[in-house]
Amino acid sequence: MNEILKIEKLSKYFGGVKAVHNFNLSLQEGKIHGLIGPNGAGKTTIFNLITGIYKPMDGNIIFCNQDITGKKPYSIARLGIGRTFQNIKLFANLTALQNVIIAGNQDITYNLLESFLRTVKFRKEEKSLREKAMMLLETVGLADMADKMASNLPYGHQRKLEIARALALNPRLLLLDEPAAGMNTEESKELVTFIYDIKERFNLTILIIEHHMDVISNLCDECTVLNFGETICRGCPSTVKRDRLVIEAYLGEEYVC
Amino acid sequence: MFIQQLANGISVGGIYALMATGYALIYSLLGFSNWAHGEVAMIGAYIAIISVLNAKFPLPIAIIIGIIIAGVFSFINEKIAYKRIRDNKSPTMFLMIAAMGLSTTYQNAATNIFGAKFKIFPGLFAVAFHIGKITIGSLDLISLIVSLVSLVVLDITINHTKVGLGIRSVASNSYTASLMGINVDRYISLVFLVAGMYAGCAGILLGMKYTVYPTMGNVALKAFISSVLGGLGSVRGAIIGALVIGIMETMVTAYLSSGLRDLFTFMLLVIILLVKPSGLMGVHVEEKA
Repeated sequence: MNEILKIEKLSKYFGGVKAVHNFNLSLQEGKIHGLIGPNGAGKTTIFNLITGIYKPMDGNIIFCNQDITGKKPYSIARLGIGRTFQNIKLFANLTALQNVIIAGNQDITYNLLESFLRTVKFRKEEKSLREKAMMLLETVGLADMADKMASNLPYGHQRKLEIARALALNPRLLLLDEPAAGMNTEESKELVTFIYDIKERFNLTILIIEHHMDVISNLCDECTVLNFGETICRGCPSTVKRDRLVIEAYLGEEYVC
Repeated sequence: MFIQQLANGISVGGIYALMATGYALIYSLLGFSNWAHGEVAMIGAYIAIISVLNAKFPLPIAIIIGIIIAGVFSFINEKIAYKRIRDNKSPTMFLMIAAMGLSTTYQNAATNIFGAKFKIFPGLFAVAFHIGKITIGSLDLISLIVSLVSLVVLDITINHTKVGLGIRSVASNSYTASLMGINVDRYISLVFLVAGMYAGCAGILLGMKYTVYPTMGNVALKAFISSVLGGLGSVRGAIIGALVIGIMETMVTAYLSSGLRDLFTFMLLVIILLVKPSGLMGVHVEEKA
């Protein structure tokens, strides 16, 4: 199996706050890895470091044997890292379909002149991009909402649209930031099946931040627990759940039995 | 008479629209009003006129040079000033202050380099065309055609091409766009280049209609009002707003008094801000995600 993502000694401080400190991760292709921890543990900061929103103060991020530390967000995205957001960040005033098409833009090779002249190449690429976007909307069950404004979609659909948009980047690595936020037990069960299905179908490797422990237990091969920017535990979900430090971090010392 | 004034109004409005769309585009991407936009128009006009007067280029070549150089200045403004402020993650207000600084700098530089005297484009023939009952001067007709064609091209590009979709996605949320593989800086540069070229074109048309002088960029205030009227950030709104202002100004001049022209325009600005701050086609104020 190939190592798809390797993070070494990653650190990021905001002023005196150690948001992420000495974080290491080796992620094998095809695996699902969970990032858990209390609020403010640095989980989303790690996503922002991987996707180039923040520049790390120290450490390296290697994606598919390529050092992506400090690269611009758009070029990291184009290398094949797609992500969704904890608080939904869709292009609110574009349609669902346009949201997906935007992320598929890198497949386009025609130039502005060709688009004005509506050349054969333009029409062919335009058609295939549209079809791909529709296929992705269908995958997440939003095919009949293609022409609706993203802002008018219900919350659950907006979350799915974010996943469809991330998939349009042809990602090899997908970063999901609390995909089950605001879902009940039934819905999060469906989500687990859904995430597993897209992983198989699109050959993805997934890094997922989640608070719902049932989602983590059912989905992840392995997970990392963070607290105050430090890695406090790593292992398969069932082991992690019994770890003393983890219980302490979540519930406080007095609950450790 | 009325139809005649309407035609004049549209012609003036078209020139305002060339600048107003630039305001709208830049506002939609960066959320600030680019006060140096009028000076870009002024630079375009000066480059064109000295290309004719001093370098003895034929007029059409001079115009093209003027438009291109205006675009380049706009592009450079972004690269040397605004981009740095964006990269520092400074408040948006800093962009507006930098733009004000650039505006004054360019006005003073123009006064120093070219002198404060009014310059007139040479060799323009004022031929009048008669279409039905309307008489329209060749210059007005040219500005009408040039601005309408440019605006239609711009509208198609924004709403029906992939580049336009890219610009709209950056306008919607540049942070997310960058994570979806969109090279945000490139789109911003492109918009500044195009907005600058449109402003340059407007400056040259105004310079030919009236005269060229260092503070002629102040007319961009009318274009700014147009974009507020249409709804800040909306390109179509800016076009409509500019036509409304252009028509209103010519009507007020024709039927009331030319002295009241600016009074009406600025009153309209105040009324719009009080009654419908989002403008005619305003983009709704986005709720926090």
